[in-house]
Amino acid sequence: METVVFRNILLSSAALALGSTAAFAQDIVQSKSSWYTDAEAALNQRLEHQPNTNRAKNVILFIADGMGVGTNYAIRLYAGQQNGEYGSEHVLPYEAYQDFPNVALVKTYNINAQTPDSAPTAGSMNTGVKQVFNTINLSENAVHNECASEEGNKLTLFSELMSEMGKSVGVVTTARITHATPAAAYAKTANRNWEGEAPEGCTDIATQLVDQMKAGVVDIAMGGGRRYFLPETVTDEEGKKGRRKDGHNLVNEAQDAGIQYAWNTETAKALNLEGDTPVLALFEDSHMKYEHDRTEADEPSLTEMTKTAIDYLSKNDDGYYLEIESGRVDHANHDGNAFRTVTDGVEFANAVAAAAAMTNPEDTLIIVTADHEHSIALNGYCGRGSPILGLCYDIGKGQVKHADEPVLADDGKPFTVIGYLNGPGAVLKEQEDKSYSGSRPDLTEEEAEDSEYVQQALIPMSSESHSGEDVAVWARGPFAHLFDGVIEQNYIFHVMNHAANAE
Amino acid sequence: MMSQAPQVFSAVTKPDYGGVMPNEILIDRRTLLAAFAAALALGSSRACAETLRMRDLYNKDLSFSDLAQKMENERIEVRGYMAPPLKAESRFFVLTKRPMAVCPFCETEAEWPDDILAVYTKRIIDVVPYNVPIIVEGRLKLGTFEDPETGFVSRVRTIESHYARD
Repeated sequence: METVVFRNILLSSAALALGSTAAFAQDIVQSKSSWYTDAEAALNQRLEHQPNTNRAKNVILFIADGMGVGTNYAIRLYAGQQNGEYGSEHVLPYEAYQDFPNVALVKTYNINAQTPDSAPTAGSMNTGVKQVFNTINLSENAVHNECASEEGNKLTLFSELMSEMGKSVGVVTTARITHATPAAAYAKTANRNWEGEAPEGCTDIATQLVDQMKAGVVDIAMGGGRRYFLPETVTDEEGKKGRRKDGHNLVNEAQDAGIQYAWNTETAKALNLEGDTPVLALFEDSHMKYEHDRTEADEPSLTEMTKTAIDYLSKNDDGYYLEIESGRVDHANHDGNAFRTVTDGVEFANAVAAAAAMTNPEDTLIIVTADHEHSIALNGYCGRGSPILGLCYDIGKGQVKHADEPVLADDGKPFTVIGYLNGPGAVLKEQEDKSYSGSRPDLTEEEAEDSEYVQQALIPMSSESHSGEDVAVWARGPFAHLFDGVIEQNYIFHVMNHAANAE
Repeated sequence: MMSQAPQVFSAVTKPDYGGVMPNEILIDRRTLLAAFAAALALGSSRACAETLRMRDLYNKDLSFSDLAQKMENERIEVRGYMAPPLKAESRFFVLTKRPMAVCPFCETEAEWPDDILAVYTKRIIDVVPYNVPIIVEGRLKLGTFEDPETGFVSRVRTIESHYARD
C-alpha cells in the first residue's frame, strides 16, 4: 500500500516540478500507529548518524561461541520474557541502534569445511585469513594434526601487532583458556586439542599462553582450564588432578616469572589491577560453570571477568586489545539444552553492556559476534509470548497474547518453540536390536521449561552439531561503519587493524 | 522391600534367556510405580514420596542438600540418564541429569560432570541408551568412595539399586 502511494506521488509531474520528496504531506492512514512512528524514529536516527573515523585506541572483540542468528533470537526472546515482555520486541544491549549502530552478516565456513569449528573461525578473526578445520592460526598449507606442517605456516596475530604498538592484550573466556576461541588470540597449532600436550617439535597451547605472557604479548588471561597448566602428579586447589605429562607446573613457572595467579572469586578480588603485573586466572579444572550453575563464592561471572580485564587493561595509555568469549552457549547447544544456551547468552549480553558502560565509543571499537551457528531451529506457528523455552502456543484471537492451547502436531502432541535438527534429544532412540525408532514423547509446559530439559531433535547424534549458517556482527566505535552487508569472517580482523592504525 | 516385589525388579537384571530379553520383560514406569504402591501398601518403609531429580541431592556449590542428608541410608527414587557404562558386564553405572553428550570437538576425553550419582545394582546392568530417561530406585549413600574395581570415585551413590525406563 505504501509503495503504491509513493509511486503515485513520484509520477505526479507537479510534485517533481516543485522538487518535493516523499517527505511532504502524504496521506497515510497508519501514520499514527506506534509501529509506524517507532520505525520513523529509527529512520531519523540513521539519517543523523555520522561515521566515526577516529583511530581506535582500544579494540574489544566479543565472541559468543555458537551464537548464530537463530541462537541469538532465542537469547533475545528469553531476555525479553524474563523482563516481562512478550519477547520478540526485546532489544539486547548490542542490538540497540544508538549503542551498536553497525551490523553485518558473517559467513563462517573454513577453508576445507562448509560447517566450521571454533578454532579456524576465531583464528580468522585474529589473523585476517580463513584457516583449516581444527587448526589455529596456521596458513592454508597447514595439515590438521601434522606437527611438521606448523613449520613455516605460523601466522601473525592481531595480539602481536597490538603488542608491538605498545598496547596491552587480554583474553577472557568461560571455557578453558586453552580452548579454541581464546587460544586463537595467542596460539598457533596444527591441532586445537593439543591443549596440554603436543608431539615432539610442537608446543602445547597452555605452554604457548605462558610463553606469550612471558614475552609480554598477553597481559591478562582469565578463564578455566587449570588442568593443562598442572602436572599429573599435582592436585589443584579444588581437588582435581593436573593433566600434564611433561611434569611442568606452568602455574609455578608463571608465578616465578612475576605473573599474578588467581583460582577463585576471593583470589580474583585480591589481584593487583594497576596494569604492571600480568594476570593468569584459572577458575576451574576444565570449563567454568554455566551461569545457571555458578556460585558467586566459587568463581566470577563473565561480566565480572570483563570488568576486571577492562579495569586492568585501561591503565595502559596506549590502549589495549581484549578478546572476550562466552564459551558455553556452544556447549549447551551441543547438549541440546536450550535453557543453558539462553541463560549463558543473557550473561554474555550483560558482559557486553558492562564493557559498553566502561568505555567510550570515541576511542574504543567494540565488536560483538559469534564464531558459528548450531543446528538449532525454531518451530511455528507460535502466538506472541509463547515461552521461548516452553511450548508453542496457538496465535490468539483479538491480539496480542498467544492462546491458551498449545499448537498440536499431526501426532496430536504439543512441541517446543526451539528444536534441534540433531543431537541427544533425538526422538529416534536406539532399540535393543540396535535399530533406531521412536515417537515424540508427551510434553507438559513444566517439563519443557525445566533447566535440564533437552529439546526434541531429529537425527540421533550424541553431540548436537554446529551448522554453517551465518552469524551476525554488531559494532560500535571507530570504523564500526565498515561492518556492512555480508562479509567473510576474516574481514573482521581487517576492520580492527584499520581502526587501530587509522591516521 | 526387595522381597516384596521381586518379580518387578528382577526384570531389569539379566536372567538367563540365552542372551535375548523378551520385550515384555522391560517394564515401564507405571508398572514400577504400581509395584512401589503395592510395596507401600504392604507396609514398606520406603521413605521417598516422590521421584527426585539430581539437583535435589546437590546444592549449587556441590555440597549435599538438606534433603540428601535427611535421606541418607533411605531408599530414594531419582530420575536421570544412564551414562554409557565404563565397562561391560558391570554392576555399576553413572546417572547424569542430562544425556551425557560427548562433543568431539570440545573434549579430548570423557568429561564427567561434577553432579552425578553413582548407581550400584544387585545384578549386572542391562544398558539403556544414554538419552532414554530412567528412574533409579536404591539406598542413598553419601561421602567419597573409590570403587576398588574401576577406581571410579563418587561422592554420592545409591546401592542395591534397580532402574527402569521412565
